[in-house]
Amino acid sequence: MGVIDLDRLTVRLGGRTVLDSLTGELCGNAIGLLGPNGAGKSTLINTLLGFHSPSDGTARVFGMDARHERARIRQSIGYMPENDSFIGNMTGVRFVRYMAELAGLPSGEALERAHEALFYVGLGEVRYRLVSTYSLGMKQLVKLAQALAHGPRLLILDEPTNGLDPMARQRMIQTIKEIRKEGSIRLLISSHLLRDIDETCDEVLILKAGRIAALCNIEEERRSHHNFIELEAIGPLEQFSTSIRGRGCECACFPGGRVKLVMPDTIEARDLYLIAGEQGVQIRRMHQRRDSLEDIFLRAMESDRGR
Amino acid sequence: MSVYQRNYKAYTGRLTPQWTRVAVLVRYGLREAWASKITIGLMIFSMLPFFISLVQIYLVNNPVARALIVRGNSRILDINSAFFLRILETQCWLALVLLAWIAPRLISYDLSDNALPILLSHPISRLSYLGGKFLAVFAVLSLVTWVPCLALFLYQSYSSAQPWALANMPIAVGIVVGALVWIALLAFLGLALSSWVKWRVVATGTIFAAVFVPAGVGGMVSAVLGTRWGLLLNLPVMMTELWQRLLGAPAVMRANNELPGSAITFMLAAVCALCVAILNARIRAREVVRG
Repeated sequence: MGVIDLDRLTVRLGGRTVLDSLTGELCGNAIGLLGPNGAGKSTLINTLLGFHSPSDGTARVFGMDARHERARIRQSIGYMPENDSFIGNMTGVRFVRYMAELAGLPSGEALERAHEALFYVGLGEVRYRLVSTYSLGMKQLVKLAQALAHGPRLLILDEPTNGLDPMARQRMIQTIKEIRKEGSIRLLISSHLLRDIDETCDEVLILKAGRIAALCNIEEERRSHHNFIELEAIGPLEQFSTSIRGRGCECACFPGGRVKLVMPDTIEARDLYLIAGEQGVQIRRMHQRRDSLEDIFLRAMESDRGR
Repeated sequence: MSVYQRNYKAYTGRLTPQWTRVAVLVRYGLREAWASKITIGLMIFSMLPFFISLVQIYLVNNPVARALIVRGNSRILDINSAFFLRILETQCWLALVLLAWIAPRLISYDLSDNALPILLSHPISRLSYLGGKFLAVFAVLSLVTWVPCLALFLYQSYSSAQPWALANMPIAVGIVVGALVWIALLAFLGLALSSWVKWRVVATGTIFAAVFVPAGVGGMVSAVLGTRWGLLLNLPVMMTELWQRLLGAPAVMRANNELPGSAITFMLAAVCALCVAILNARIRAREVVRG
């Protein structure tokens, strides 16, 4: 059983299909959710939380159906929304305690956990200040604290580093890594920042126009593209790319004469020079590198394939 | 785990039953309502008529005081349905003042800070959330409406020399039913308008306006068209007529009643239904992060 199981999940809102037949099993400890604006990331999160009902198909969290077992799912989830979302006239500790009590913790335990969670995220010294007086970074952290306080099995973080300065961002990333390392919580992190996902996640779900453009384990994906080469060349690159595609390479051209390609095992770097020579292309620089999440993302965006 | 040991540990303790989560909302709602000194001031002010009535009942049932005050005019201090109607009306209008202050505090903070996505991501439904807020308002308004009125009824029953309570039981029933109708109406109206208006001060004004502006419009409609149906927009008149009927007020007080009971009931139910629809729409629109 995966953390999240999607089976032909379709969500229509206002007559528009926002999520279109998503099928897949997300099993990672930390799952990154990527996609351009309007791809359906927030809708997927809201569907998992039970705010939207699936129009068709099913979504399961730890085997619980998102349509019929909302309360149980919400019990297992800690949610940190993207935008400002708090009660400004409460102190940090009271706000987190309130949320923990709503999640089912008895009053005394909720207070204890609120203090612990606030210390854990680094707001221990300001926990008696009103949340409305917190800086943007502190507000992000208090949202994280309330999501953690009741000990969820799945933590959903929507743009956790949104609006943070570099130091605060680094601290947030570090905290997320620690949570992941602790092991009792699975993470679903939605972000526009590929670097955040790259640093924290081991699996990535990329959405494009409401469909799954890619669902892969980041490490495995990197390993499978170990013959990844970046070229800078001048000359007729279109012919060059056509030729190397003919040899079984995956190839993408970028402005400025940049070419990224993944070579099958049957081809070596030397062959590229031969093909370039035949096509009248000068290779000015060749760099063999590992696949980055950006490459995985770009490939997914270029691909018309959806599942 | 001590707070200075900043490691995350999963929670493994017991959980409260699902149905008690509404009580958490009520408790935090009440705390929010009572956090303001103005609420305490309004509550004390609302209890003044109760204490005056308490003294009045004491005097009526004290033979010496009665002989000194009444001096032959026994009608001055009659404790009857008219007496309780006056108290109920006074308390109910004071409840409106209290509501105009506390209802925006219960809802506006959640909406202005966009707290609903976090609140409702916990295992509570939209209905539970609204139920919690409703019960918080209900509890506060009960303290200034049917609870003091019923306390006066019980005190009069205790103080009266002859068996008074059984003979006047319809008054007690009328007090409770009349106050509950008013509280339900006010709670729905207050919460709906508070959810609609972002700023608390404006929400307070809007609650008063929602009660008295339609009354003025209704008066104009009645005057211009020469019909009594304009009074259906006049909440004070409708409620007064309803309370008079429920408490069995003397015929002289009910001489000007113009609206049929069914029309009043229908209108009050329609206002409540409209408020619930507004609340549902507003909460639903704000419960998710749009992106």
